[in-house]
Amino acid sequence: MIIPAIWMAAIVYASEITILSIGFTLTYLTAKIPNFAHGTYAGVGIYMSYTMSKILGITPYVAFPISFILGGIMSVIIYYLVIGVLTRMGGGAIVLTISTLAIQIFLTALLNIYAYYLRARFKTYAMSFLLKQADFKIAGFQGIFPVALSICIATVIILHYLLTKTKTGIAMRATAEDPELASVLGINIHRIQLFSWFLTGGLACLAGAMIPLWFMSTPQSGAAIITSIMAGSLLGGFTNVYGAIVGGFGVGLSEILLTTWLQRVVGVWVGEYRPLIPMFFLVAVLLLEPRGLEGVYIRFKATKTGEKLFAILGREVV
Amino acid sequence: MMLDLIGSLAAVSGSARLVVDIAMYFGLFVIVAMALNFQYGNAGIPNMGCAVQVIVGGFTVSALTTRLTFWLVQQGGVKLLPYTSDFDWVYNNQINVSVLTNPYLKSHPFLAVSLLLFSIAVSLILGAAIGWLISVPAIRLRATYLMITLITMADASQIIGRNVVSISGGTLGMFVPNVFAWYPGDRTVVMAVITLAIGLVSFFIFRTMLNSPYGRLMRAIRENEITVGSVGKNVTGIRRNILMFASGITAISGCLLAFYFSFVVEANYQRAFWTYWPWLMLMIGGPGNNAGTFLGCALIVAMRRVIIVNKYLFSKIFFFPIAYFESVLLGLLLILVMIFRPNGLIPQKLLYIPGVNYRQLVREEVRVDWRTAPKASKSGGRFKLWGGKRED
Repeated sequence: MIIPAIWMAAIVYASEITILSIGFTLTYLTAKIPNFAHGTYAGVGIYMSYTMSKILGITPYVAFPISFILGGIMSVIIYYLVIGVLTRMGGGAIVLTISTLAIQIFLTALLNIYAYYLRARFKTYAMSFLLKQADFKIAGFQGIFPVALSICIATVIILHYLLTKTKTGIAMRATAEDPELASVLGINIHRIQLFSWFLTGGLACLAGAMIPLWFMSTPQSGAAIITSIMAGSLLGGFTNVYGAIVGGFGVGLSEILLTTWLQRVVGVWVGEYRPLIPMFFLVAVLLLEPRGLEGVYIRFKATKTGEKLFAILGREVV
Repeated sequence: MMLDLIGSLAAVSGSARLVVDIAMYFGLFVIVAMALNFQYGNAGIPNMGCAVQVIVGGFTVSALTTRLTFWLVQQGGVKLLPYTSDFDWVYNNQINVSVLTNPYLKSHPFLAVSLLLFSIAVSLILGAAIGWLISVPAIRLRATYLMITLITMADASQIIGRNVVSISGGTLGMFVPNVFAWYPGDRTVVMAVITLAIGLVSFFIFRTMLNSPYGRLMRAIRENEITVGSVGKNVTGIRRNILMFASGITAISGCLLAFYFSFVVEANYQRAFWTYWPWLMLMIGGPGNNAGTFLGCALIVAMRRVIIVNKYLFSKIFFFPIAYFESVLLGLLLILVMIFRPNGLIPQKLLYIPGVNYRQLVREEVRVDWRTAPKASKSGGRFKLWGGKRED
């Protein structure tokens, strides 16, 4: 089976965006704020991969579990020091969101400083790099293609299991729905918050660790990717994890495929405008249906065809 | 010192340049931060897209004023190099502006000043237009949606500025006519004085608006939009109006910056610079308080300028460029201010409403039975950082 390289790139990118969008949506569900620092967690993962591959000289895949744990710890620390404190002080959604922006600026600057440190200490160029050479090959594919896809699918399956079958996951959903009622029922909201921040931070960092294996990475690429993440999350409905899976994959795929197609049809210069594609999605979703795909799904369920279809299926999906 | 500078006709240099620079940036940031205070501090609109509005001001000067000047100068009988195609627009720009246009403006001060006024007026209008445009997707939705769209718009504006050459010369940037070519002294001093004057005027405009019934309506929307909507006010419309008005004012600062440098390039209008720093100024000074905004602007601008001027000292200590140190400082200060000084250095005061008998209110002590109040509320605004009991 031969898959065109552009499709492989699109699928790898879409897998990463999907994982990031899931984390973004989970944060929004539990903390009620859009976490603008989410993309920058991915930046931390990017530099984890770089450190493993170029400084320690081992395969960047070692960075995946390490960055999962590191990202989780970082996210928990951020929750402890900033978000939790501000929430307890009664800061509104806007104040909390600004604090995540501040964290984003802070982390991006730290990543830049780290890149300069690597240059000063190890004499390597860490400002913009690609780790495609460090990847292994499997049946003619770059190793990251099956790995990214399977990590994405595994994340979705594990998360589905976690959210529907385990006690922690159900407690998480309850906390997202109504924190006060959940705490009345004996759920430790604080611990649930910590767990969800660990999970989202870890997932974001893991997705970030995969990025440099196929795409050019700079210290800013983590912060730049946030638009795609938000577009994916918003396309999926912003408050629905399953929507975020579809939305993230859709935005990730279309960002690369649409750019390539437009470059072929209109001209090469379109490539410069690639960051506008997720913005276009974002604005289009907000203008047409602010609830995203979730809203479309709900509307479709209410129509006659939808009712018939669900009667045939015999059950409520999601 | 400023007065001496205004009087002097020699070129500004040394520490005097630092003073002019601080005055200019203080003026610019006062305009941006006060407009932001008008939006966020008083009306609760989190405008994260100040950079868009500032960039519109800059692009007005580079794309419209420059073309208009060229046309007028050609009418005046000066032969300019061709500038219609993108290539000519960028590559003949320097000769067209510095060699051919500026001497003409030197002998026509009236034309030059009217060009400045034209640019300010047009950037006010275009700024308001862009304010309307960026408000369309999300003004009626939740505040966080508005933040998301505005942040992405700020990026989009910069991408467009970088790639559409006919606006501001793309990545190369372009020179704009010097409207103070007729002034024998230093142009930057005049620009700083004008900017400060506009900042002062906008301060009085904002203050008057805030103390009018409309200002109270804004505060009411900030506190509870559902109540305001239920008494028959068009919340979305008011929000849009405020965003448009403040956008127009913000755009003026971009226009003034372009004339200060006599140069426009999109890299001068970065999101971090024109959105996050004004937000920090607002937060430090205290949202909802113009005096606080002044204080915040003065503190931050002085700090940044001193850091930049003493760059060579820092470069001996750090192995990385100073810009990242500034970013670290920006992020840290923003978080620390929000945690330890949530109301800013000067907390906001209630608006004075004519007709309310304040003396009566003060005399009638309101008695509250604190014994029945929950324990947590006694601590007031205080909190525990470590191991504090959760209050919910």
